[in-house]
Amino acid sequence: MKRSQIVDWATAIYEDLDFSTVHAWLDEAPGRKAAAYLPVYAPREIIHACGMLPVGIHGTGGIEIIRGDAFYQSYICHLPRSVVELAQSGRLDMLSAVLFPSTCDVIRNLSGMWQVMYPDMYVRYLDLPQVADPKLGAEFWKRELNVVRRDLGEVSGIEATEDRLRASVALYNEVRSVIRELYTARRETPWRVPSEELYLLLRAGEVVAPEFFMEQARAYLGVIEQCDDRIKDRTRVLIAGAFCEQPPLGLIKTIERAGCYIVDDDFLAGNRFMIGDVPDAEDPAAAMAETFVTGAIKTSVLYEPDPAGKRNLMKTRAAAAGADGVIFAAPSFCDPALLDRPMLREGAEAAGIPCIAFKYAENSGQFQQFREQAGTFADSIKLWGDA
Amino acid sequence: MSTTITTTTTAGIDVGSGAVKAVVMSFDGDSETVLAKVSSRIRKRDIGDVVDQVFAQAVAEAGVQGIHYVGTTGEGEDIPFATGHFYGMTTHARGALFLNPKATAVLDAGALHARAVAMDARGKVLNYKMTSQCASGSGQFLENIARYLGVSQAEIGGLSLQADDPEKVSGICAVLAETDVINMVSRGISTANILRGIHESMAGRFVRLLRSLEFGDVVFMSGGLAGDEGLVKSLEDEFAGLKSLTGPPPKIATHEDSIFAGALGAAIWGNFRFHKLGLDEIAWEASA
Repeated sequence: MKRSQIVDWATAIYEDLDFSTVHAWLDEAPGRKAAAYLPVYAPREIIHACGMLPVGIHGTGGIEIIRGDAFYQSYICHLPRSVVELAQSGRLDMLSAVLFPSTCDVIRNLSGMWQVMYPDMYVRYLDLPQVADPKLGAEFWKRELNVVRRDLGEVSGIEATEDRLRASVALYNEVRSVIRELYTARRETPWRVPSEELYLLLRAGEVVAPEFFMEQARAYLGVIEQCDDRIKDRTRVLIAGAFCEQPPLGLIKTIERAGCYIVDDDFLAGNRFMIGDVPDAEDPAAAMAETFVTGAIKTSVLYEPDPAGKRNLMKTRAAAAGADGVIFAAPSFCDPALLDRPMLREGAEAAGIPCIAFKYAENSGQFQQFREQAGTFADSIKLWGDA
Repeated sequence: MSTTITTTTTAGIDVGSGAVKAVVMSFDGDSETVLAKVSSRIRKRDIGDVVDQVFAQAVAEAGVQGIHYVGTTGEGEDIPFATGHFYGMTTHARGALFLNPKATAVLDAGALHARAVAMDARGKVLNYKMTSQCASGSGQFLENIARYLGVSQAEIGGLSLQADDPEKVSGICAVLAETDVINMVSRGISTANILRGIHESMAGRFVRLLRSLEFGDVVFMSGGLAGDEGLVKSLEDEFAGLKSLTGPPPKIATHEDSIFAGALGAAIWGNFRFHKLGLDEIAWEASA
């Protein structure tokens, strides 16, 4: 397969606001159902084990918001507006269930609105464990997972037995492994893996069957292995804060064109939420809960028990990625990202890591100011920094 | 890291909105030599083709077989054979210092916009300001007006200097300014006075840009408009006429290679990066 074929495939899915791939999957066999989830993290294994297609709803900057604005005040981020717009325009009618993780108040309120607007649809607000005691957190999360498992099984008519769930866990371990490979490839050879392409691929992976995503992702890994593009003299940056409302593709492209290589990011963070694999265990839900509590990434949407944890985070991540600087790019009005930013930035700067910060919305269309900021940032590091 | 190579050859390519400029430079210790410089208007041609042609010509004129670092600037981010890209204000600041070591600020006035950059003696950008999106302070606007008046670009500066009673032109909007000019022509205002009026309007905008920065005695003008002596004179007069200025007005410096400032900066920074990264390979070869 050619690189352009894979990228075109992913681009077409990214631009398709009618979720044709989901419809196609549902049409392949009678009785199939799809369950969606909002950012940041949802247990896709549970959805899959119930025989349903997990569908990531990450908003869009690609539609005019009319109905969505009627639901929200001006100081609320853009994501729920576009999600409401997608739903109210009938584009999400094919869903049988939607999971709303405890990312922030806005997502929680959206789950309430959903219950009112779509009383026939299964809606669940997922309280992620936010306690310091891992034992308590794992027990709580296991129970929550089992509730969702039972409920979705009733919606789909397919019980997520231990065997089915174990198989789904194994499958998503593979998905996580492929995504880790992609991120490793970009970190080690960023000139071969433009972040725009990586993002498109991962975004497509949110709305297709995991098996199909892995096929495409592995083909992409094979293609970039053959790529003989030469490394360019660019500044390696980490993009922090873009974990929920996604940046427009143009912004990702602009940052790299301006002279940066993105070597780590928070985009679609839910698909890398667990650092390692979930072990094969007799009780797969317990194993998922245990892995989540002990092996989730450090993020603004999870409780951080260590007071120094946030201040050290950027230093640790930048060192792991070999990043020369950090760009804090958060959606406007994103409470989790923007409330954490001062602590994260303070820690990064105390460690001597150059930083800049800006805000975006998923429908931002003008990138000149981002280009200027990223371009001058890259130059300042290349010419006056240690890189 | 350190490279064993002491003599390097680098290229700088500045892709502007109106023209592509390329230079090839040689570096040996403290010696910096310009081996070739070529510029070409883009007009309606494919930018990639213009870049290829200008670069090939510059390399041929320089008579080199290999280049250690190809630095790009301006809109040149996507040039496939580039080693690295530098932002415009970074390269213009460095290029200005190369052409005039006394420069403390640079006014880069090009086809679509202008920007003022304050820098230190090493070329480090300290602050900058850009014109807004309006085209009334741009070279493209001046070129359009010249076309309406039936004047070639080369004649604009000289004619402007002959003005005896400049006519005021809108300094805010290119559309209004063009309307002003049509009215002036119908009122029989001389071409020299119209052009000087436009220069004064542009100079007013540029001085406001510069005054938002802190800088020393010498402002270097780069970009395509730097060769317009009428505009340079208007800038000097605008500064001289400022009542709020506490010291003497800054000197407006230009150079016959002002238009190459960005490309020169890219080539010089390219050499800096080559050594900083400890590279030891040729980035571009004539035979490749």
